[in-house]
Amino acid sequence: MTAPAHDFDADIIVVGAGPAGSCAAIAAARAGKSVVLVERGPFPGSKNMYGGVVYPRILDELIPSWWETMPVQRWVVKRSTMLLSDTGALNVDFRANAWGAPPYNGATAYRPDFDNWLANHAVEAGARLVCSTTVTGLLRDSTGRIQGVSTDRPDGDLRAPIVIACDGVNSFLAKESGLYPHTDASNFTLGVKETLALPKHVIDERFGVRDNQGVDIEILGGTSGVNGGGFIYTNLDTVALGVVLKLPKLAAQQKRPEQIIAELKRHPAVAPLIEGAEVKEYSAHVIPEAGLEMMPTMVADGMLVAGDAAALCLAAGIWLEGVNFAMASGMYAGQAAAEAITKNDVSSRGLSGYTDRLEKTFVLRDHKKLRKVPHLVLSDRVQHKYPAFVAGVVERVFRVDNPHPKPGVRRIVREERKKAGIGLLDLLRDGWTGMRGFG
Amino acid sequence: MTITVCIKWVLPNRDGDERFAGISLADQAALETGLRVAEALNESCTVITVGPAAAETSLRDALACGAHDVLRVDAPADTDSAETARALATYCEHSRLVVCGDYSSDRGSGSVPALVAARLGRGQALGLIDVQIVGETLSVVRRLDGGRRERLSVTGPAVLSVEGSVARLRRASLRATLSANDAIIDVVTNDASGAIRRTPEAAPLRPYRPRARVVPSPTGSSALDRVRQITDTSSSKGHGETVVLEPGDAANRILESLHTWGYVQES
Amino acid sequence: MSPTARIERDNAWPEISFEERIGTAEFRIHEKAHITVNGDSCRGCTTRECVVACPANLFVPTSDGGILFNYENCFECGTCYLVCNKEGAISWTYPEGGYGIVFHRT
Repeated sequence: MTAPAHDFDADIIVVGAGPAGSCAAIAAARAGKSVVLVERGPFPGSKNMYGGVVYPRILDELIPSWWETMPVQRWVVKRSTMLLSDTGALNVDFRANAWGAPPYNGATAYRPDFDNWLANHAVEAGARLVCSTTVTGLLRDSTGRIQGVSTDRPDGDLRAPIVIACDGVNSFLAKESGLYPHTDASNFTLGVKETLALPKHVIDERFGVRDNQGVDIEILGGTSGVNGGGFIYTNLDTVALGVVLKLPKLAAQQKRPEQIIAELKRHPAVAPLIEGAEVKEYSAHVIPEAGLEMMPTMVADGMLVAGDAAALCLAAGIWLEGVNFAMASGMYAGQAAAEAITKNDVSSRGLSGYTDRLEKTFVLRDHKKLRKVPHLVLSDRVQHKYPAFVAGVVERVFRVDNPHPKPGVRRIVREERKKAGIGLLDLLRDGWTGMRGFG
Repeated sequence: MTITVCIKWVLPNRDGDERFAGISLADQAALETGLRVAEALNESCTVITVGPAAAETSLRDALACGAHDVLRVDAPADTDSAETARALATYCEHSRLVVCGDYSSDRGSGSVPALVAARLGRGQALGLIDVQIVGETLSVVRRLDGGRRERLSVTGPAVLSVEGSVARLRRASLRATLSANDAIIDVVTNDASGAIRRTPEAAPLRPYRPRARVVPSPTGSSALDRVRQITDTSSSKGHGETVVLEPGDAANRILESLHTWGYVQES
Repeated sequence: MSPTARIERDNAWPEISFEERIGTAEFRIHEKAHITVNGDSCRGCTTRECVVACPANLFVPTSDGGILFNYENCFECGTCYLVCNKEGAISWTYPEGGYGIVFHRT
């Protein structure tokens, strides 16, 4: 490992030992740079919550055969999308048992376990991890160049030519450095969830899985009129059930988040899945939901932003991903920072290897391709009218109403569309946006 | 003569998960008291724990807070009070003052401080709710039954136990925390001999990064010869060598080779 | 009884009060508050976004039109300052290192 230059404690400071920070630290330390990884929680993962599914394919590059050691709850082999009207539900299921065997696809995992495991890899790679330490700001020299961070510990200044901000959705560092032009509440959702305890065999029976097979259910509708969605994920002996709520809509009505969860739990399509379950842990966090629209500038002189801090979270209806974007962006940030140290140019130009990598890979390509989807999914029509419309159509298609003959499907669609108050032009427009958005 | 602080690292009983393990508030107060007394009397402060290797995290925290020396007596996490006291007493013999918390976070009987005092034949002041340093003397207040208090003055060698409210543990500086992470912790085996076994000085660990091997460019008149020279595996090309050396020389030779090949780095 | 509690009892699974709910999470409480609220701004506020949106129910309206707040059971999520429409009414930082919410199974 090269010794950092004079007056510096390290080559690179990584703020936050979540998936982005730990991957940044692994990549930079493996490139031979000295890295300090600063975490404000008592251990990595202690401040972190999410819905519950991680897609670790990107770890093939950093931790070959990651699935052998990763702390997994269950491997997702069944994905469902549930459309809820007041009393009805349309369920679309897909099952792939192959996802339950190497090299796997997605897994449910607890973040205090997963993040801790990933941070241990950073320590093994040579990064120095310091926990229980909150970063309070950036250090700059007289010319304004970033020189490290200040922390809340005594004698707490830490100096390095590059800071990688992986400090999560509230990223005070990205805001302090002016990379976030504005913070608009409508770009954020609040995720609240309950970790519900049920015996393993009960989960296996109710969700139709066995051994360490798991289920991922995304829910549209069922959020009491607040734009958002719901989710149910199976862990080994708990079920994660939660809702994601658009902030301004949540604040503008009278139901509190836990009441909205309670109503989802009461829905006839959801209640039988979790009946008798005991709340083991209640948790909440804000999610950067607006994708490309809200992303900050990712690079400044001496600084990179990755993970949730860079709003790299994909909330596109059927795809809800964040940890994989965090890990990839972190890894690319770590690699670019190491290159910049090697060629002795830590300016934003010297660090541009980061944005190059983001542009070339799924990190920004997925976001660009799906740029219109987050807004469409959270729009009022998709949220409040379509679930009832679709459930109404399907209900009437399957209802046997003898002695009346079966009505034509086209007629049902027309009548249900009118009943739901959806204009034909709006339906066509949303359909077109959806087709193009999901392209 | 030093000030010795005894702490107990405890796993949470629910799931035994080390991430949630730690020392009690009372032990934290004991550490802070020990550090303050050591500073006031210009003594050094040693922190001892009896426990498994995982307990070293709490010793690192103590080092970061300013302890001069730490020691772990290797023992299982469920070592009983009498055995713990025996082990502690062995290493507290020469200290001026022993400070303990009055309970561990697994809420045992709180008997260890008294047992240590008995073994050392020292005076004891247990269950303290206040400790003040007055010159060379400690003025302490002890909780008695029925809301009564007893004020004591501690001068000679003694064993104290303090409640969690006595002092709030200071926050370790960033630099001390970083260096405590890399510190080597002294470990002794829990037997009657009392011999301190220092853990060997470890070279800094780094990921495996072998040096690039220099392959000379092939010489030969035809392309086929040159390709053969690079790909031919029938001759040894000098790799692998048998040498017969004395053990000491052999060890040096192995180290030298490992260094040449890039497996170890000079510290 | 709150509407939530009634709903849950109707469905015959154990009733859970907000206190029990928040009691399932571990909070390591520091003596210093990491949230501060400017009472003057709150007295003029009619919308009270923080009161309904905070998942930890930390903001409580008082009879004199102000806002009473707690910081102890904070999830450190960021909802309150994001939804607040009064510039600077809620100032919010992370608690001191090692303190605050500690998740176990999230």
